[in-house]
Amino acid sequence: MNTQDPDRGHEGPEETAPAVAPVAPEEARGAPPVEAPGSGDAAEPGDAEGAEPGGVDTRAAAWLGASLGVCFTVAFVTGLFSHFLQHPGPVQWPSRPVGLYRVTQGVHVVTGVAVLPLLLGKLWTVYPRFWAGIREMREGMPRPGARLRDVREFARTAGGRGLLIPLTAGAIFQVFTGLTNIAYWYPWPFFFTTAHYWTAYIVVGALVVHVLNEWATARRALTPLRHAPPATGGTDRRGFLTAIGVASGVIVLATAGETLVPLRRLALLAPRAPGAGQRGVPVNRSAAAAGVTAPAAYRLRVRGDVRHRAEWTLAELAALPQHTVALPIACVEGWSVSAHWTGVRLRDLLRAAGVAEDANVRVESMERGGRYRASEVAPPHWHDPLTLLALRCDGEVLHLDHGYPLRLIAPDRPGVLQTKWVNELIVHGGAS
Amino acid sequence: MRVARGAGYAFGGALMLFGLLGLLSDAGDDHPIGWALWFAGGVLVHDLVIAPVVVAAGWALRRVARPVRAGLLVSVLVVAGVAPVVLALGRKPDNPSILPLPYGRNLVLVLAVVWLGAGAVWAVRRVRQRRGVR
Repeated sequence: MNTQDPDRGHEGPEETAPAVAPVAPEEARGAPPVEAPGSGDAAEPGDAEGAEPGGVDTRAAAWLGASLGVCFTVAFVTGLFSHFLQHPGPVQWPSRPVGLYRVTQGVHVVTGVAVLPLLLGKLWTVYPRFWAGIREMREGMPRPGARLRDVREFARTAGGRGLLIPLTAGAIFQVFTGLTNIAYWYPWPFFFTTAHYWTAYIVVGALVVHVLNEWATARRALTPLRHAPPATGGTDRRGFLTAIGVASGVIVLATAGETLVPLRRLALLAPRAPGAGQRGVPVNRSAAAAGVTAPAAYRLRVRGDVRHRAEWTLAELAALPQHTVALPIACVEGWSVSAHWTGVRLRDLLRAAGVAEDANVRVESMERGGRYRASEVAPPHWHDPLTLLALRCDGEVLHLDHGYPLRLIAPDRPGVLQTKWVNELIVHGGAS
Repeated sequence: MRVARGAGYAFGGALMLFGLLGLLSDAGDDHPIGWALWFAGGVLVHDLVIAPVVVAAGWALRRVARPVRAGLLVSVLVVAGVAPVVLALGRKPDNPSILPLPYGRNLVLVLAVVWLGAGAVWAVRRVRQRRGVR
């Protein structure tokens, strides 16, 4: 399958490595890469084999490709973590460390935000190759009666290049939907989370194959640098890569403050700002959007696999032992805000109702509909003394937008699972 | 080595297949036709619209000083990256905590910093060049 660019792979190093090391390599190749885009065409005519196909700067492509490989891997791993926290399978996630999800999801979104300039830069670098490749495939199409070997060769090349379609389309799709999702804008007909999740497998699968195909080329393209003397002034490639890196850095600095407290004052372009919203704690779903109003007569009920059904009024809940914990709301969209929550430990209520220690609990909301109106709490989380049904936030009675009269708050848990407006606990399973 | 390579291809292919089957199995949620349109649409818009426009712009700007081109490149990339936030189409009347900042003004501030940087690079280069000439 490594027929992707049987021609391109070799000439970069052979041409540049020994002879041109002291000079900026791309100048020697006579095809200044990116900042003079027209140049790609100049190299194109009649360079079918051996010469510079389409004037691609292999080294810039390799640098950007390597960075993208790291970013997509990080985003994939942190994204899977987030997915499995929200859709628990046989594995029960621990409730500690407290801020784990805040970190992993912050990394996921910051990586995704940083990746756009890298992706556009990479596509730009290989763009001349795109048209050259299409032309080659058209010209190389086997005629009827061609030898089997040629047909097979053509099919392998076509397969390797065809793979670039899901890779490129998928990468663009992931970055675009991700950036748009954190801005709460949904111009498409599908549910973001599901589409972003499944497309990730397509992209990463294509990436694995792409890396296998291009590993040798990229290695060769990056190796000469080790022995080259430090470059004097900025070359075009250096300038181009620097600009890409600076753009990534600027976007990250201007947004990451929505979760990284030290960068808070720089977060000029973050979709969320700590301090915005009721009492300085932002929410994703307001009470109005959820169709919830303050109840006239409130009861919290426990039912399901319990020894005795139990219920509490708000006054009774407030009379129980209160605990105050400092926990973040860490949202899937990458923002997070810490607050002090005061309320009753979930485990105290469940044990009062008599539940098995290995039972699961479904925390239900007064919200009538909505994808996240209820959430499952597994034993590691409800055993945790930090897991509360909170009545107060930062010392004041909860605002209706924050889940008044009662909300779940637990460590190491995505914000969408910190159920608000809680009025029922349904216990299921367990030994007793 | 060949075996490891083959295993790598099989793994990559399996991941892709898994993703595709997953999309189809969750069809109620992810709307496969809509997904396919956006999936193919993004790359087509890039390859047939965005890239040619950038090629043309690069050609038009080929005589412009490097720090200016670099400043333009950084600005365009930054604007592209934060466009969904700056457009703020996701704002909701019931929830003032979503997209709460004056993004237009802030984008101008951020770009001003970028151009200050580009100006500084340009100035340093000029000083260096002059010294070099002497």
